[in-house]
Order: sequence, then C-alpha cells, then structure tokens
Amino acid sequence: MNKKELLAIADHWFSNQGWKPFPFQKKTWNDYLKGKNGLLNAPTGSGKTYALWVPIVLEYLKKNPDYKTKHEKGLKAIWITPLRALSVEIAQAATRFAEETQSGLTVGIRTGDTSQKERAAQKKSMPDLLITTPESLHLLLSSKNYPKMFKNLNAIVADEWHELLGSKRGVQTELALSRLKTVSDNLKIWGISATIGNLPQAQEVLLGAESKALQNSTLIKANIQKQIEVKSIIPQSMEKFPWRGHLGLHLLDEVVPIINNSKTTLIFTNTRSQCELWFQKLMNKYPEFAGEVAMHHGSINKETRLWVEQAIRNESLKAVICTSSLDLGVDFAPVETIIQIGGPKGVARFLQRAGRSGHQPGKASRIYFLPTHAIELIEASALQKAVEKKAVEDRIPYLQSFDVLVQYLTTLAVSDGFYPKEIYPEIKSTFCFQDLTEDEWRWCLNFITKGSQSLQSYDEYKKVEIEEDGKFKVNHRGVAMRHRLQIGTIVSDAMLTVKYIKGGFIGAIEEYFVSKLTPGDVFTFAGRNLELSRIKGMQVLVRKSKKKTAKVPSWMGGRMAFSAQMSELLREELYEAAESVGSNSKKRSPEMEALQPILERQQLESIIPKQDQFLIETFKTREGYHEIFYPFEGRFVHEALGSLLAYRISLLSPISFSIAFNDYGFELLSDQEIDMQQVLDNNLFSSEFLMDDLYKSLNATEMARRKFRDIAVIAGLVFTGYPNKLVKNKHLQSSSQLLFDVFRDYEDDNLLFQQAFRETFEHQLEEGRLRQALERIHTQEIIWKACQKPTPFSFPIITDRLREKLSSEKLEDRIQRMLKQLEK
Amino acid sequence: MYTITIKNNHFQLSCSGVAFWEEQQTLLIADVHLGKISHFRKHGSAVPHLAIQKNFDRLNESVEQFQPEKVIFLGDLFHSVLNAEWNLFEHWLQQQKAEVILIAGNHDIISPIHYEDLGMKIHQELLIDKFRLTHHPEEQEGSFNICGHIHPGYHLVGLAKQHLKLKCFFRSENQLILPAFGEFTGCFVMKPEKQDEVYVCANAKVIQVN
Repeated sequence: MNKKELLAIADHWFSNQGWKPFPFQKKTWNDYLKGKNGLLNAPTGSGKTYALWVPIVLEYLKKNPDYKTKHEKGLKAIWITPLRALSVEIAQAATRFAEETQSGLTVGIRTGDTSQKERAAQKKSMPDLLITTPESLHLLLSSKNYPKMFKNLNAIVADEWHELLGSKRGVQTELALSRLKTVSDNLKIWGISATIGNLPQAQEVLLGAESKALQNSTLIKANIQKQIEVKSIIPQSMEKFPWRGHLGLHLLDEVVPIINNSKTTLIFTNTRSQCELWFQKLMNKYPEFAGEVAMHHGSINKETRLWVEQAIRNESLKAVICTSSLDLGVDFAPVETIIQIGGPKGVARFLQRAGRSGHQPGKASRIYFLPTHAIELIEASALQKAVEKKAVEDRIPYLQSFDVLVQYLTTLAVSDGFYPKEIYPEIKSTFCFQDLTEDEWRWCLNFITKGSQSLQSYDEYKKVEIEEDGKFKVNHRGVAMRHRLQIGTIVSDAMLTVKYIKGGFIGAIEEYFVSKLTPGDVFTFAGRNLELSRIKGMQVLVRKSKKKTAKVPSWMGGRMAFSAQMSELLREELYEAAESVGSNSKKRSPEMEALQPILERQQLESIIPKQDQFLIETFKTREGYHEIFYPFEGRFVHEALGSLLAYRISLLSPISFSIAFNDYGFELLSDQEIDMQQVLDNNLFSSEFLMDDLYKSLNATEMARRKFRDIAVIAGLVFTGYPNKLVKNKHLQSSSQLLFDVFRDYEDDNLLFQQAFRETFEHQLEEGRLRQALERIHTQEIIWKACQKPTPFSFPIITDRLREKLSSEKLEDRIQRMLKQLEK
Repeated sequence: MYTITIKNNHFQLSCSGVAFWEEQQTLLIADVHLGKISHFRKHGSAVPHLAIQKNFDRLNESVEQFQPEKVIFLGDLFHSVLNAEWNLFEHWLQQQKAEVILIAGNHDIISPIHYEDLGMKIHQELLIDKFRLTHHPEEQEGSFNICGHIHPGYHLVGLAKQHLKLKCFFRSENQLILPAFGEFTGCFVMKPEKQDEVYVCANAKVIQVN
C-alpha cells in the first residue's frame, strides 16, 4: 500500500464518524509516516489521540498487507500517560480505530491498577499497543529478557509531556527512551504537550540533546484558536470580605447563580481539603443541590470518580467540585463554565482549566475567578491580562538527577544486568545527563556496588554485584524485590484505605492525618461525616456520623509560585493602583475598583509602593516583631530572599527568625526587635557574595533537607515498606531527616547530598530571577514604614502557617531565653 | 551536667544522654541501637559507613568522663540481628575496666549466649537499692523505675512562632526515662504534666524546662 492509499483509510474512517481531520492531524500523520520523530502541541480534547494513533496503525497495515487474515504478534507501540485515570479513555479511542479499520491490533493497559493475573497474561503475549505510566515502563525494564519484548517496537508516545517534563518522571522517561532507542530497531518518538513557554526545549528533552532523533524531528502546533472569557467574582461589599484566608467560602452565595445558569460547571479548588469544605458548605446551605452536585479528587475511590466522570458526560450533574484531578485528559462536552477558587498560581494551569469548558465548535471557554481574600483581587486583575497575552510559564527540566540515575541502573541490574561501557553512551545522550562526567559516572557505579566510594574491610553492603565478566547484576532476591517495590519518583505519604465497618470502600487518606485522630473523632471525607472506629493494619474503619462539626483532612497542596511574567503583571497592576488610589479614575478594572477601600487603608497606614519604591513595614504584635518586605517577585524568589536576608541579619548579632512568604512579599518574625536602620546601612540587599550567602542560609534552613527526603527515597536509601504492611511513615520521615544529618557530618561530598542543594537552587530558588530582583531593588528607593499594626498587605503573609526558620543563637542561650519569655 | 536527687541518691544527667549514679558509681545508658547503620547497609541502603564509629567514640567519652565501676545498658543495645558491628562492640568491650550489664529490650534479639561469651550479664530487670532498672517503663509500688525505650523528646514553644524539638530526660513521680543515646535515632515528643520534670540535652548543657 502506498501512502496515499493508507491516508485514504484514515480519511474514510473520519468521514464515517462525521468528522473532518484537522490540519495538525494530517500533518502529524504525514510526518510520522515519513519516519520522523516530533512534538505535537495540542490542547486536551482536540483529537490529539487520533493524531498519533492513526499513523501507528497505518504503519502496521503498510508492513502487513494481509493484516485482515494474519496478525503479527508483539508490542508495536507504547503510549505513556502521567495519569492512570487517563488510560481508559485512550484505550477506548485507540480500540475504536483499530477495530473499525479491521487492523486486528489489540490494545492493553498496564499501570499500578492492573491485576497480577493480567500482568502475567501480558508477559506471555503483549498487546500491540500498551498504555502505561513511566513507573510501569521501568518495571518492564526490570524484568528478565526485556530487550526481546521491545525488539519490534515502532513508536513511543509521551502524552501530556508538559506534565512529565518538569518532574523527575520526565527524567525517568528520558532514561527509558535512551534504552529503548538501542533495543528497538525502528523506533519513532513523539510527545504531546499543552502550550508551555519552552516548547522547543520540551522537544529536545524528549528526543535527547544533539541526538539523531532530534535532527530528524518536527514540532507541530495545533493552533486551535479558542476564545477565553475571564470574569472575576467580586464581593458586593468589601467590608465583610476577609483580608486573609484561602478558602473563599465568603463568596459561596455568588457561585449559586452561576451554577444555575449553566449546563454543567466545574469548580476547581487548590487542595483536597478545600474541595471537601466547599462541597460540605454548599450542600448544607443549598440542600436542593443534593444529587446534582458531586465532588471529585484524587483520594476518592476510583469507582466514585469514574461514576462522576460518566455523570458529567451524560449531563446528569449541575456542578462538580474538584481539584487538579480533573485538569487533564477526558473531554467533557457538557461543561459550559469553570470556576477557579483562589489563585491558580500559573497562567498555563488557568488556561488549561478554562479549556475544560465550551467544547462545542465556536463556543468560548468561560472561566470565573473567585478570590479568597482581598489582595487576591489584584491577582484576578493581573490574571486577566496574562490570559490576553498568553503569558504561560516554562516547565524547567531536571538536570543531573543522580537519584533517578542510580535507581535506573539498579533497575537494569535487577533484570538482565548491564555492562557500563554499553550504557554510559546511552545515558550521556539524554538531556538530563548530557554533562555527566566520567568521574560522576564512576561515582554512581561505586554507589550501587559498594555503598560508598571505598570498600571497607568489615562492610556488608549488599546491592549490585560485579560479575567476573564485568556485568553489573543484582543476584540477591530480597534486594531485587525491594527495588521493584520502590521504582518510581513520586514520593508521597503512606495512604490508608477508608472503609465502613460493615464493608464498603470510601477512599484513601494520608496516614499523617489519621495519626492525629483518636477513635470517636469525627472527620469529613468524600463529602460525608465519618466517625473513626479503629485503625486495622492499612485500613481505617469508620461509621457514619450525624455530628455537624468535623475535622477536615489537611492535604498538602503543591504550592506553585508565580512565574516571572505573572509577577511582572502583578507589579504593573499595583503601580497603577498606587498612582490612582483615592482618585476617581475611570480606567480601573472592576477588581481594582472593588479593592479601593482596602487600598486606601493601606495608603493610610503605610503606602502602596510605586515603581521606583521598595516597601518595608515593621510593627509589633503579641507574637513578636514583624518585618515585612514587598518585592512582588513570586513565592520562590521570596523564599530565597527571606532566607538570604535572615541569614545576613543573623550575622550582625545572635537572633532567631521565623520566615513566611507568599507571592507578594516575605516576613521575618523574631522575638527581638531588629535595627532596620542597621540593615539598610549595611546594604544587606547586595548581590555580592550572593551564592555563598545563599548556600550558607540553605544550610541553616530546612529547604535542602526537604529536597533530600525525596532524593533519599528515589535513590533507595530509605525503604518505604511492603504493600499493605504498615511501616509508619513517620519512620521514613525521621529516618530521612536523620540521614541528612549523617550525610552532612560524614559524607558531604556525596553526589546525592549535593543534589539536594543543587535542586533547591535550580528548582526552588531560581537563582537568575533572584539576581534580577536584587538588581531591581538596588535601583529602587527603600521606604521603611514603622506601622502601628498589621497593614492590609501584610495580613495574608503574617497569617501563613507554612514557615521556614533560621537561627544564629547558641542552642543553650536560645532555650534559656525562650524559657524566660514564657515565665513573663 | 545537671545533678538531680531521687530518694537520697544522686544522678548526674549528661548532655550526651547518659546518667551517672554517684552512690553506685554506675553509668546508665539507654537505647544505643548499635548495628543500625550496618543493618541498613546490609539491606542495600548506603548510609555513610564512617558514621558507625561515632557511637563508640561517644561511649568512650562518657566512660572516660565518669570512670564508672559499672556500665548498665537499659535495653536496645543492638538494633537488629548480628552483623559486622558486633565485632566492633566486642573490641570496645575488651577495653572496658568496668563491669558491663545489659537489661534486654525489644530490639535485643541477639541470643544471650553471644553476650555471655563476651563475659556480659543479661537481665530482664535489675533491682538495686530501691531502684528498678528496666527497658520498658514499668512502675511498681515500692520502687523507683529507671528505664529507656521511649526515646523521650520535648517540644519547646516560644514567642514569634519559634519551636525546638530536643532529646530529654523525663522524670515523673516514680520514674526516670532516659533519652536514646544512639546517633541516628529519632525521638517521641512527651506531654509533661505539671509535676513532671523535663531536662533537655542542649549541646554542652542540660537544662530543666519543666
């Protein structure tokens, strides 16, 4: 069959469905059939699955002209998805095309949800298309004779590549691809990504730096123009609107008409606990919504989630309160409206959520932004402009992730074993490890074989052995089993299943939360009030409770930070506000108009900084002495700046700080008054010795320590336990905490230990932006306001509970001073 | 150093976590957890090897400081089954002039025969004067209990959202719980009642905080 005939099959199938292929789909088919690799930039629900699955099938038809009578067995394509939940949708779409074209191709799923039985069956006879996750793909690499399994693989598709890219699962994918490029004869690699700031880089990371695959590749943009309407929900009166908080329940009533006026509404919250609370409050106040409003988040059991997703599709729900669990994948045609509660902390995410609505051709996506506190109205206004300018963030790929590398090498040693001279060039060809030196490579090999860099006489370290012919191999069954259980880069809390005593699975909940409950306590979960009966193994047994008040599980929501562009837009909003406050400006956005009373109050008690001003506020409360700094540079930069400044001040005299930060500024809180004039006179915002001081401040705070926790788990330094056997996660936490100290004291040149610091610099502190921020501050006039009490701007910061600490006092002195204060 | 008096006996509490009983010239040490690092390494977790020596160095410092006639370990001396660290312990024991005794704890699963081979005595508990030495906390009428097992810690909260977690000696009316001596062990935060006494280990000092 020639290309024309092949494409005719696809066109025919499309017209049978009543569809017309998009130009981007046609281009992808063509390029794939030419043997190219590539990255497809297309949003969710645009038909991206068919853009790649179609040519994969066509390629098979071409190679096997008698496909209708004879099926050639074996794995031909792998589809990598970041979310298990998406795999079913993809499988359905793929099966439809495979069957209706009579290709005879089979589709299978292999994820953490796949049963042992099915896995075993797959091992015997692989489906033609396998839909899987990065973790499950690595598990396949840990099985014997894996090269045979992948020999005839033609294609790998990394779906939602933007999600994987900025995480270590991206590194995991890169490493798996580097191996498969060697073992598969005729491999084409494709990625599918939503719009991010650094698409060409995303393509390079996927295909390998300076690789042949990259040279023979293409970047295809779907360019589907979608109109997006952004509206803010503005409180009727600012008097009762809170200055702080993150729940947004004050505006509950304003949401009701929006729900009523739309076919289906998705309400996005930032954390699961917020999701639970919103559901509970909405149902309490508006019981008429019973049966019409549902909840969806990652801890609710799979059946319920699938039911909710199905109910959205067949239009039987008015609204769903959800978290990022509904960010990706599946297409919900009936959704007309989106409500975002609280700052989405990212323009790309905001756009993605907006895109979940208005799927009918020609319809606009409509998204409402619901601010949770007054100052977030500034964010709402900035967000509108960001959407107009499509100021989306970059996803920063990880570099030199030694934790993932040692895990991968052990994986290869567990299956067939490996020879370093064969694997080294493959590793070097990845984006992540393009700068890997031979010394570092040797370090990694020593780490997995000796557990350090030199062999001790009485040491019993056991992991990877070097066999006589130089093959690196795991021969110990226990080591192999523990390693397989640990493959992956997502480090999460241990999860316990929540069940009724009489039976009936409700969902999964973090052990951390359960450990704080005692039997008899009532908590809200999956929209119900449940009373804890007892904890049995990995199960939390509960019964229904009629009590009205209940504890709400606190789940740690990932805290995202503003990008540079978003921070800049925010500053611009503010500078405009500073110019026009108190006047009768007509140019103001509705958000800024509503905010006037609060801005006036800020102006009265302090100032609203103008473009050439840098504001510092100090005041005293019962808690102690507060110093607030406002760079408006986004959370991460503030975290770095806060630690840096605290460190520099702590050099002047012994002092202890508690540091808080948000996207607007940061706070140094101490029980001693600091001499602000001295801080200014000593030029503590200098960018001189920046790296050195930052490194030292990192040592003094917890940031690197927290990063090390994940690294220790990924690199196999901490074993997280066997499934269904309760290893108290506290032990994992404390033992990786203790590990950090042991490494610092005895092996601080360990590459994994140093990685914790490097990651903090590259992914948390964003050194480049920090430098720019300091340079900007350098050109500004510093305005120090000694205030009587907390100002409107300071409120969200000083009430933030997630804090960093730093002290330069001698421990003994510090304890004695704390005791003295308590006596007062 | 901080000396407390219990039933007319004097105990010097050291910042290293040991207690020296003056009247009996006895050094009390709880929860050393030797062999923990070797145990990790044997299971493929590459905890720095150099850290193993630290426990022995600290034991030597304490013995040097108090020159006791007896050393009593209040349980959990070894973290796990026999491993290479046993040889280091054997070597350490040969250097000791004092009599060394072990009160067995829940982690002490190494057969008593091995200890006896080294000339060490093992007890489930030991009654000396009015003091009952155990691993698990066990209050009995008529005696004062000295024990380990809990790994007591104290959470000190101050102004300006400051807080510290510190290893501590925990004394209630009829009981003294020693902190875990071992490097690479965690601690359990205690909630003292008004009458309880808490002494935290703070670098070079022991400070009473409750």
